[in-house]
Order: sequence, then structure tokens, then C-alpha cells
Amino acid sequence: MNVIESNQLTKMYGKARGISNVSFSVKEGEIFGFIGPNGAGKSTTIRTLLALIYPTSGSATIFGKDCIKYAPEIKKEIGYLPSEVFYYENMKVIDLLKYSASFYKKDCTKRIHELAETLNLDVSKKIDDLSLGNKKKVGIVQGLLHEPKLIILDEPTSGLDPLMQQKFFELLREENKKGATILFSSHILSEVQKLCDRVAIIKEGEIVKVETMSALTENSYKKFRLEAVNHVTSEVFQLDGVTDIMVKEKTVSFIYKGNMNAIIRKIAEIPLQNLWVEEPTLEEIFMHYYEKEE
Amino acid sequence: MNIFLHEIRAYGKSTFVWTVSLIALVLFFMSLFPSFAKDADQVNELLQTLPEALRKAVGIEIGHFTSILGFYSYVFMYISLCGAIQAMMIGASILSKEVREKTVDFLLTKPVSRTTIIVSKLSAAFVSIAITSLSFILCAYFIASYVKTETENFNEQAFFLLSFTLFFVQVMFLAIGVIASMLLPKLKSVLSLSLGVVFAFFFIGMFGSTVGEASVRYITPFKYFDSMYIIKNSQYEWSYVIVGLVWIIATFIASFYIYTKRDMNAV
Repeated sequence: MNVIESNQLTKMYGKARGISNVSFSVKEGEIFGFIGPNGAGKSTTIRTLLALIYPTSGSATIFGKDCIKYAPEIKKEIGYLPSEVFYYENMKVIDLLKYSASFYKKDCTKRIHELAETLNLDVSKKIDDLSLGNKKKVGIVQGLLHEPKLIILDEPTSGLDPLMQQKFFELLREENKKGATILFSSHILSEVQKLCDRVAIIKEGEIVKVETMSALTENSYKKFRLEAVNHVTSEVFQLDGVTDIMVKEKTVSFIYKGNMNAIIRKIAEIPLQNLWVEEPTLEEIFMHYYEKEE
Repeated sequence: MNIFLHEIRAYGKSTFVWTVSLIALVLFFMSLFPSFAKDADQVNELLQTLPEALRKAVGIEIGHFTSILGFYSYVFMYISLCGAIQAMMIGASILSKEVREKTVDFLLTKPVSRTTIIVSKLSAAFVSIAITSLSFILCAYFIASYVKTETENFNEQAFFLLSFTLFFVQVMFLAIGVIASMLLPKLKSVLSLSLGVVFAFFFIGMFGSTVGEASVRYITPFKYFDSMYIIKNSQYEWSYVIVGLVWIIATFIASFYIYTKRDMNAV
């Protein structure tokens, strides 16, 4: 069963583009990544799904129901965490969480305290006095306290330190094991790689590709940069899978996809001063996708 | 219901301060009344020397100023002004503050419809204003009963009718505030907008009284109720009440429509 089904979803801001013809579906129990550079339309898509903004054309269903028409009903089972969290500043954390819980017809007190404990969040403080990271924790608790069936996260990790990020991911995996479906938007590839089963890549308002994580990692592009002792020419690296080669005197950089042993053997032939093998940035990976498309 | 209670709590402190201030204001002015009444002739003579246009603008009518209702209606003009500011501020802020303080995502991703949100919020605004108005009316009545001269009894019905116009004027300004915040989605400062609009209407009213132009009365809520007419006839001029009600209902319907259709864009 599909928890989210987006069908040609389009949002225009006057003549400016928001998103156009976005179609994808998220299966029940899946962790679905939504990845793209800033301004690609991730938030616009999510905000349309949540009926914060209305689509210009197209439609989407959540739990099989139209996301605009049945918005209040659907949201009983949705937990949402935005990238930037803002709450009523003069309230205490616990009062805010209770206010949040009051919208759901179940007792969430136990869950609030469990979550707060896991995240080391002091609920007796005023929201005003919290640091950015702690505000984010309030957001996490607020999004999970009613044990939603669908968790929607819009760039949720900003402001969390690595340790907290890990705890947060553990929490999400736990919820996922209990049956929650997760839609996770991010512009950081490694984050999505860690967590997601499938990803949709979005750029300039359109979905470029929907791919399983395993397929994406099979196409594992690596960025090589090396500094040779002597001058080198680009002919040395005429090898299948090498692209974007740039030679500048003794330094060479290129992107490689293919058998690791082949390229390492090639590099071993050259007297080296230094070598870097890095994950390419998201943009660089995108470039490959776009080249394929064209 | 939870949104309603949340809003009542959020506005509780400000409602309390406004209520106490209005009561303090009427207490201060009315405590001056006995000395005015004692020297009624001299006061009237003094007022006679003021230019007629000025007297009309500030709502002083000779002969009435030294009766308790006349004096009260003069003070009441400024009470209405303050009450209007309070109402306009609540109206302009109750929906727009969520956008300004960016808490709108929190509220709108909860399982409530936008209609529920706007109804709860407007009810909370309405109740806050009602608390202010009714507390004021009661206290003003006790104050007036206390300061009246031994010989003079005032018409209680006229007193209550006159005092109740505070609530009506407040609801009208609440409606103006709400529709202003809907038409100006990027509204930054509620205070300056509210003061500006309320004073503009107040001065239009003053100007209208000076030139004696009846049609001006329909423009500004401050002139929907003529205190002299209420004191003399112990009733309202119903055409104004009807226009006022229509205006209030129309504004609320328009605000509902705009609010439920609006895109809540990311910050």
C-alpha cells in the first residue's frame, strides 16, 4: 500500500516556478529520502502535502485520501518536523508539548517524558531560553509524541550535534520498526544514505530520478585527487568510468565510477606525493544524472 | 477548545491590563465630577467662551456637561477610543502573529481545520473584549452611582445603553483589525497600524461633528452612537446598528474566506 501518492503535483507562484509535475509514491513502512539542492522544491512539495499551501494543479493522497480535502483527518497520523523550529516563546517546554498533545485524542504524557529523556531535554525550561539544538529537540518530541504513522521531516538535522543526530536517527529507525513510514528531505547525501530505502532526486522543481538506495550506492562515484611527483598528462587516465578529468601541472582530479582495483592499479604506476579519495558532493552526482538524462 | 483556551491565556495579561486601565481612567475623571457639578454655573460660563466648532469637535454640549450623564458621555468618548485600540490590536494580531512569530507551521500541521482555528481564535478575541467591556460597564456604574450628587438621579437605562456601545465599537474595531491583517499579510507592526487606523477614525469623527455632516457618521464607528440621542431617547439609532452589524458580519465572512484559502509560505 502507498502511504503517499503524489500525482503531477504542481505549484506555481505567479509565474515563478515552485514545483512542476512532481509524481512519486512512498510505500508503507518505507524510509523515503527526498534529496536535492536548496531551492529545488523539497519544502514546497512537503508543504503542499501538508496543505500549508495549495497546489496549482495535480493532486496527492496520503493514506489514500486527498491531502487537501481531508487534511485535518490525515494529520491525526502525521508527525512533522520542519527545518527551522519556532514555538510560542513565552511558554515552557512542557506546556508547549501538552498543548501539542491536546490536539490528539490520546494520552501522550508517558511518551513525552520518554522522548525527552532519550534526547536529554529539560522540559521545565522556557522555550525562550533554549539553544537552537534544544529547540530542535522540542521539535522532535513534538513531532513524535503522538506516535504518528507517517513522519515527515524537512531537513531535520540542522542544529543537532553529531551525537544527537545519531540518537535522532536511532529514534527514527525505532519508529520505523514499529511500522511508521518516513519521508525525509535533505540536501546532505550521506544523511540520506545512512537512513533511507529509496530516494527521489529533485532539481529545479522536478523529480529527476527515483532510485533505491542500493542502486544509488552501486553507482558509487568517487572523487579522486592526486598530486604526482612529476608532471602528468590526462592520457594516463584514459580508463572506463573516469570523467570530469582536470590536470593542472602535477595535480589531477577526476570522478570515477567502476572497479576500484583497476583505478588503484593505474594510480600505483605513478610516483605520488599525495592522494585524496572523497565522496563527490551532491551537485557532482547530480551532474552525472543530468548528463545521462540529456 | 484547546486553541480557544490557549489564546485566552495568551491574551489574559493584556486583557487584564486594558480592563484595569479603562476602569482607572473612568474613576479618575468621574472623581472630578462633584467639583464640576458644584460650580455648574461657572463651568457653563467658561465653556461658553470656547469656540463652537471646538466644543462640537470634542463633544461638549453646554448644560449637559454638568449633569452626570453628560459628563460621563464626554469621558466615555475617550474610553471608546482606548477600547477601540485594544480591540483593533487583538484583531490585527490574533491571526497574523502566528505568521510573524513563525508558529503557523506548528498549528497548521495539527489535525484541525483552518475553520476551527479561525473560529477558536476569533471567539477568544471576542471573549477577551467582552470581559473588558462588561467589567468596565459594571465598575463605571458603581462609580457613577457613588459620585452623583444627592439631588440628581440619573437615567440608568440610558447609562447602560451608552456604556454598552463600548462593546459594539470594540467589536467593530476587532473586525477592522482582522480584515486588515488578512489584506496585509506582510504586516510587521500591529501597534502602529492599530494606532494609526483608530486615530484616523477618531479624527474623522471629530471633523464630521464640526462640519455637521451626517453621512460622515456612517464612516467612523465612533459616531455610530450619538450620546445625546441615547440620553434623550434611551434608545439607539437602529439604522446605524444595522449597518454596523452588516459590516461586522461581512468582514468576518471575508476573513474566513481569505484565511482558509491562503498559502502559508515557508519563512
